Amino acid sequence: MTLSKLSLRNAGRQARDYLVYAVTVVMAAALLYSFNGLVFSQEVRQLSEKMNTLPLVIVLASMVVVCIFGWLVSYATGFMLSRRSRELGTYILIGLTNKQVARLFFLENLAVGSAALVLGLALGGLLYQVLRAILFAMFGLSYHFALNFSLPAMGLTLFYFALIYLCALGRSRKRIHKMKIYDLIYLERQNEGVVIQTGKLRRRIFAVSIVLGVAGTAMLMAGSLLIGITGAGCLIFALFGFFLSFASGVPAFFEKRPARKYQGQNVLIFRTLTAKLATMGIVMAVISMIFTATLLTEGSGLVMSGIFRGRSVESACFDLYFGIEGENQDPGPYMDYITEHIPVEQSVLYQVYLSDQPQVRDYVSSRTVYYCYNYDQDPILCWSDYAALRSIAGYPAVEPEPGRYLFHCMTYLEVPLRDYDQPITLGDTTLTPGSVYTEHLSQSLGVTNGRGYILVVPDEAAEGLAVHHLAYAAKTLQPVPAEGYDALTDIAYREYNKQENPLGYGFVSTKANEAAQVAVQTALLAFPMFYLALALAMTAATILTIQQLSETERYRSQFTLLRKLGVARQEMARALGRQFAIYYAMPAVPSVLIAAPFIFHLARIPEPGVMVGMNSPGIIVIISLGIFFLIYALYILLAYVSLRRNVLSQ
Amino acid sequence: MLQVQNIEKYYGNKNNVTRALDRVSFDVEAGEFLAIMGASGSGKTTLLNCISTIDTVSAGKILLDGVSIADLSQEELAKFRRERLGFVFQDFNLLDTLTVEENIGLALSLNHTDPKAVQDRVRDVAQKLGIIDILGKFPYQISGGQKQRAACARAMVAGQSLLLADEPTGALDSKASKNLLEIMSAMNQDMGATILMVTHDAYSASYAGRVLFLKDGRVFNELLRGERGRSVFYHEILDVLAALGGDVSDVI
Repeated sequence: MTLSKLSLRNAGRQARDYLVYAVTVVMAAALLYSFNGLVFSQEVRQLSEKMNTLPLVIVLASMVVVCIFGWLVSYATGFMLSRRSRELGTYILIGLTNKQVARLFFLENLAVGSAALVLGLALGGLLYQVLRAILFAMFGLSYHFALNFSLPAMGLTLFYFALIYLCALGRSRKRIHKMKIYDLIYLERQNEGVVIQTGKLRRRIFAVSIVLGVAGTAMLMAGSLLIGITGAGCLIFALFGFFLSFASGVPAFFEKRPARKYQGQNVLIFRTLTAKLATMGIVMAVISMIFTATLLTEGSGLVMSGIFRGRSVESACFDLYFGIEGENQDPGPYMDYITEHIPVEQSVLYQVYLSDQPQVRDYVSSRTVYYCYNYDQDPILCWSDYAALRSIAGYPAVEPEPGRYLFHCMTYLEVPLRDYDQPITLGDTTLTPGSVYTEHLSQSLGVTNGRGYILVVPDEAAEGLAVHHLAYAAKTLQPVPAEGYDALTDIAYREYNKQENPLGYGFVSTKANEAAQVAVQTALLAFPMFYLALALAMTAATILTIQQLSETERYRSQFTLLRKLGVARQEMARALGRQFAIYYAMPAVPSVLIAAPFIFHLARIPEPGVMVGMNSPGIIVIISLGIFFLIYALYILLAYVSLRRNVLSQ
Repeated sequence: MLQVQNIEKYYGNKNNVTRALDRVSFDVEAGEFLAIMGASGSGKTTLLNCISTIDTVSAGKILLDGVSIADLSQEELAKFRRERLGFVFQDFNLLDTLTVEENIGLALSLNHTDPKAVQDRVRDVAQKLGIIDILGKFPYQISGGQKQRAACARAMVAGQSLLLADEPTGALDSKASKNLLEIMSAMNQDMGATILMVTHDAYSASYAGRVLFLKDGRVFNELLRGERGRSVFYHEILDVLAALGGDVSDVI
């Protein structure tokens, strides 16, 4: 049999034995190809002018992803080399040279890599369509399925793969070249050496690492770059310290509590676990770091997209809106452009007034976190304008409430305002509080309908009040095109510069522009974050699973013995399940404890009113963890099914 | 205590049947030390596997204290193995991730013994078997003889009534073998343990009170020690092995 035939046969076996790894490599190729597809897509770049930077962002993200997958392939080939060293040693024993064996190993891995690449490209074609569909949906365009393969994207994927594989295989090749038969035959044994050393030092390290972990997490949230970096350093130390000392900490714990040790299957479960940890403490720490990074990137991505959407949704309630700060402003230049270029179905030109004193603002500030800039007094809208605005925004009409003033506010102020029971006095009219409405009404910025809230009063009560700004809102027949938005922004800029003592700041927003902006920001910032998070999670979960499945033989002999000792199948399945759960929970628990508070903190940073509803900090943390555990669960399930089939089969 | 009645065991398919056990019958009394001898392939291990409920018989019955083990459900079988049977294997079968103490204690914790009592009972048995000093060590840190004594301790710590030993001295040197066999004799005589040992070593068998010889799946002969000395019994065993024909070199 020739060497290449043997390589091919071994490659087939490798793909079977390390199925999870093979699947991950296929997914890696698919992921790289699909994102490369975005790099070279003309169509995607035409979505918006700002999308021109997308290729650069994705190439940068891909480089990091290539490093991550490179590490995975390098680790996995190194691991396989140790596991199969006896077999490779036997080849040398029967007369092959080191060079030939290295070539054999190289060809075999290359065959797996190439097969994965081909499958990955096919899968990547589909994945690219999913990304395309998401992007189109974000830009509000209709999506048509069109399967097309991009040659440059394929070329770039091939280049990335060559980088990943050549580096990893180069290292293995060097290792084999240097190895002697003895090393190869006994490498497996070295790998299995159980190092269990108990000692005061290790227990101390354990305690210190817990303290460092808590301190590091707190420092990460301090908001200063220097403290944050120090915190990250503390966390790295904490994770390594924790996993390196844990293996000795647990036996010490049980040594003092023999009754706990012999309860149920505790002794079996904790010993199997600590033996595994003792040999892979460093790997566990690295995996835990990767998981932390995964959660942080994914959480940051979600927070960012939450901010983009949260900020835009408030301003996107009108097809077209503009506001000019100050009294007696002239809407002429804007109106001329609109009349000429934008067909309008319904519109209102109105003024936002100011009350005499900031009594509601002071109350709100005392009840909740509230940023009040731009308004020194409470903003006021008169009833007829409010009714028109509701109609333009497409909200149901509401009944006027004579003798009362209404609140229209963002959801985060709803509860305090519902509790407010003080009357207001405008000139000689006194009004008592009425209903509270919370639909989006462009209330998040300065020259809009108040900041966070506005008081709606009968028309006559607003007479004679100071004007804060002039505003215009319209429902258009078609979405306002990007040129329309740009032209109006230019007008605002020109008008602002014309004024001698500038205070007439002009603000323009359109529903279409807000949507496009969210889409661009999400594509440029959140997309690459998710891309990285996915690559990180897949890599770490694969390494854990490779490690776990490589123990199949040991588990099998353990359970054969247990069966002889009279443990029922069901109980063995339970013990296996518990061992599994603890093994997979180990690296994830510290990551969740570090990342969850950080993401929660991050989501609370933006101004109030942005991170509400589905974007509220708690929900963002839950979604981050949910997505992460969904990917993780897939790997756990795959490993569990495979192990259970091999270990507990009759 | 144990009654083996006409058991048969076949392997293979319709066209190629291997008869591993052929109408084997014998009884084991409580407190007896019985050895089963035979060459490789004579059916010793199959017999042991059938008695230990790891394998099932094709025909015949095995009764332990009057209960047919074939009538038990999977769960009852597991419980039966856990509570009634103790095992000692040729390759020790200790879990290498557990200390000696934990390996012995495992049998108790699987039996849902009060966790607080486990350590005391383990120490008690270890004391009797002379392994009290190595309880804190891992299997890779102790010798083969010590491992086998730890396995014996595990096999009897939960009060199992029948100890099944499969070539217990197979992986030991002669000194360790002698030591182990003496301990097994002591377990039998002083602690009243019923032992069923499968071996192809005449020296080991000479420690038993009775030896059954298997050949091609059948009981070929039976030898009782009675009041004779061990060395006399040993030579008698060798004689029977010689009579087994042509297999002597294979069995000593």
